[in-house]
Amino acid sequence: MPDFPLDSRHVVTIPAGGSREYFDLQTRRQFFGRMAGGLGGAALTALAGNSLLGAFSRARAEGLLPPGSERLPHFAPKAKRAIYLFMGGAPSQIDLFDYKPQIADRFDQDLPPSILGTGQRNASNIRQPRLAVVPSPYRFQQHGKCGTWVSELLPWTAKMVDDIALIKSLQTDILNHNSAVTLILTGNAVAGKASIGAWVSYGLGRANENLPTFVVLVSKAPTPNGEGVQAVFPNFWGSGFLPATNSGVVLRSEGDPVLYLKDPRGLSRDARRAMLDGVQAMNAEAYEEIGDPAIHARIEEYEMAFRMQATVPELTDLSDETAETFALYGPDARTPGTFAHNCLMARRMAERGVRFTQVFARGWDSHRSLPKNLPLLAKDIDQPSYALVTDLKRRGLLEDTLVVWGGEFGRTVYSEGALKRDDFGRDHHGKCFTMWLAGGGIKPGIVHGETDDFSFNSIRDIAHVRDLNATILQQLGLDHNRLTFKFEGLDQKLTGTAPAKVITGLLA
Amino acid sequence: MPASHQAGFARRRLFPPAAACLLAAGALAGDAAAGPATSWYALRVQPILDRHCVSCHGPEKVRAELRLDSYAALHRGGAGGAVVQPGQPERSELLRRVTLPADHDDVMPSDGKPLLAPEQTGVLARWIKAGASPEAPPPPGEEPPAVAALRPAAPDYRPFLPRLAALQEEFGVRLVPVSQQPTDGLILRTVSAPARVDDAVLARIAASEIAPLIVDAELARTRVSDAALPALARFPNLARLDLARTAVTSTALGALAPLARLRSLNLAGTRIDATARDRLRQLPALEQLHVFGTPLADASP
Ligand code: HEC
Repeated sequence: MPDFPLDSRHVVTIPAGGSREYFDLQTRRQFFGRMAGGLGGAALTALAGNSLLGAFSRARAEGLLPPGSERLPHFAPKAKRAIYLFMGGAPSQIDLFDYKPQIADRFDQDLPPSILGTGQRNASNIRQPRLAVVPSPYRFQQHGKCGTWVSELLPWTAKMVDDIALIKSLQTDILNHNSAVTLILTGNAVAGKASIGAWVSYGLGRANENLPTFVVLVSKAPTPNGEGVQAVFPNFWGSGFLPATNSGVVLRSEGDPVLYLKDPRGLSRDARRAMLDGVQAMNAEAYEEIGDPAIHARIEEYEMAFRMQATVPELTDLSDETAETFALYGPDARTPGTFAHNCLMARRMAERGVRFTQVFARGWDSHRSLPKNLPLLAKDIDQPSYALVTDLKRRGLLEDTLVVWGGEFGRTVYSEGALKRDDFGRDHHGKCFTMWLAGGGIKPGIVHGETDDFSFNSIRDIAHVRDLNATILQQLGLDHNRLTFKFEGLDQKLTGTAPAKVITGLLA
Repeated sequence: MPASHQAGFARRRLFPPAAACLLAAGALAGDAAAGPATSWYALRVQPILDRHCVSCHGPEKVRAELRLDSYAALHRGGAGGAVVQPGQPERSELLRRVTLPADHDDVMPSDGKPLLAPEQTGVLARWIKAGASPEAPPPPGEEPPAVAALRPAAPDYRPFLPRLAALQEEFGVRLVPVSQQPTDGLILRTVSAPARVDDAVLARIAASEIAPLIVDAELARTRVSDAALPALARFPNLARLDLARTAVTSTALGALAPLARLRSLNLAGTRIDATARDRLRQLPALEQLHVFGTPLADASP
């Protein structure tokens, strides 16, 4: 359905392929065309110049803002960039961070109805005859000066508790993977909205002209036979209604890092340039004639790809990393496609001004065989996550880089399927789960929020995933209520229409 | 974990978080014995004494019968009598003691403790010269950095916006507003092509009209060297300076001393060594210093 007014005076001729921005521009032009007659150009300028925002949109409209300043943070940011370590499949908070000694002797006892309440249903609590509590079989210890409890499965993460902030009281509305990932990463469970990386890219603009603003790295799962692995879909990093230049660029671990970037064999860089100049001249002509910003975006993308031909090889060539650095990230760091390798890549992106880097880890969906797979999963991400924070910190990058770690929801305290001492599973759980954040103005060495004795309900400082997203934007200098884009008649924003709040307890 | 990982943690707080202390001090303003908490003495003099002298001249140890933990005690003097002669720095024993050569028997702090930086002895000298008052407010230019930081950080950049594109073109760098707030200043950004930025470029930017607007200089992996540091000192509002993996050495770091607002300095991967320490001590507002991968970090325990 068209979202511009269907009044005949407003109907404009739309050339084939006309983009949304083109429609907007046309109606705006008509609006200002009529306004100018009645109000007078000077008055209009004075009006626009009065407010700070007016000054900006005016400078932008007049092309006064220099390249690199088209988009600016609303206020001075704590972080210039972010790295999001996404644990696809949903890690078990109760076996990693949310220590519950209170239920240590409740193995195989029924979950008290008072705890279950009338809350969220999932496959197992609908189908299973009983919900048998499984206390975590893993040992927990306090670590660091702050004394945060961490499971024995994460010995490296335990070493950096004084540098990170845990949040244990996160909640989400959705309990299946694809929709829940879509919700936490785009603000809506229905695919098609802009992802958080795209919003950040749109809100802050490009820091490095020769690299994408938003890079995605997908890691191999450490579990055997793809157990617990959920698919990752491009809408997790899509640009939705935002201009397409803001969508995540996937760097592949095998073959060429970026598809179709390399020149065909036998084509020289000069020949490529000459061809590009020809295409660009035609694009420029079309832009002159039609004025559709999508053509302009296309011109930009072609130029970007040309520049990336020169910069991506340097970015992905790790030969200038020392043996000590590889040792820090662990034995997998030399193998492309591993989480460890991707964490090292993420640090290189941060150094080179990439605004948002998202590393996907996979395999955390522990419905079955948790005692067999969880140690593998934890080991896969533990040392690299520690190494990333440590490496950023010692190089002076953690000050202005926000690091986020976590998945789409949590897991149940009760077993899914048959329960044995050494074999059980945990189902999806949305009423409490744990993530951690570090750097970029986050208060280090704290635990925010609390859950009940069963790690089932959040009971203090409850935060929704949209509050987390508001907080991430805040640290990047963006007000989630002001970072909007008109689409389908709505000022779209990452946090959606329900109220969201910045989690101030996490901020330094 | 190899020990070197820990040794590499090079983020050191050289000075206590000045802003927090000062705000607290401001809240206690009016403590009669100490004079107003916003006085020149309370803001600039006592902090130097607290940090470098009170361990031997305070409640725990009283060497030479001299205590330096309050204005009253300082005024009273020690075993040899008054240590401060108001208006006469050259006749004040306190100042003589802190300006002696390092190998002199009488030099303070004693026992080989690090000496005061010239910036600090300068504060003491000017305060004594002006009358060594417990109440007088700091004259302009003598406010501590945190008070200065409460003022707008940089001049309004809006009048410069129309010219930024041309300046970017001219210098081959990006000049990007920190935020939409016009007094948040500009970032000098080079990450797209660091190899194009050298000492000459920096000298030209420092001599230009926009130098006072720059609050953040991202110069990592550029070709700047020691010769660029005097130019950097001409960015009066610089709060963050990233020189990681440049050819900068300890030799020229003293040139940064005029940067009274510099809070964060990244020297990771440079050749700076232990001699950098005394030179860096002169930076009054410095909170974050990164020295990973330098001879200085390798020398530190
Ligand atoms: C490590 C301990 C130590 C520190 C730190 C120290 N002093 Fe002293 N100070 C002494 C000792 C011991 C004496 C007595 C010996 C002497 O006179 O040299 C003394 C004597 C003095 C005297 C002479 C007092 C008199 O009446 O005879 C002055 C003035 C003085 N110190 C000033 C300072 C100042 C200013 C600082 C800080 C910048 C400082 N001291 C830091 C140990 C210290």
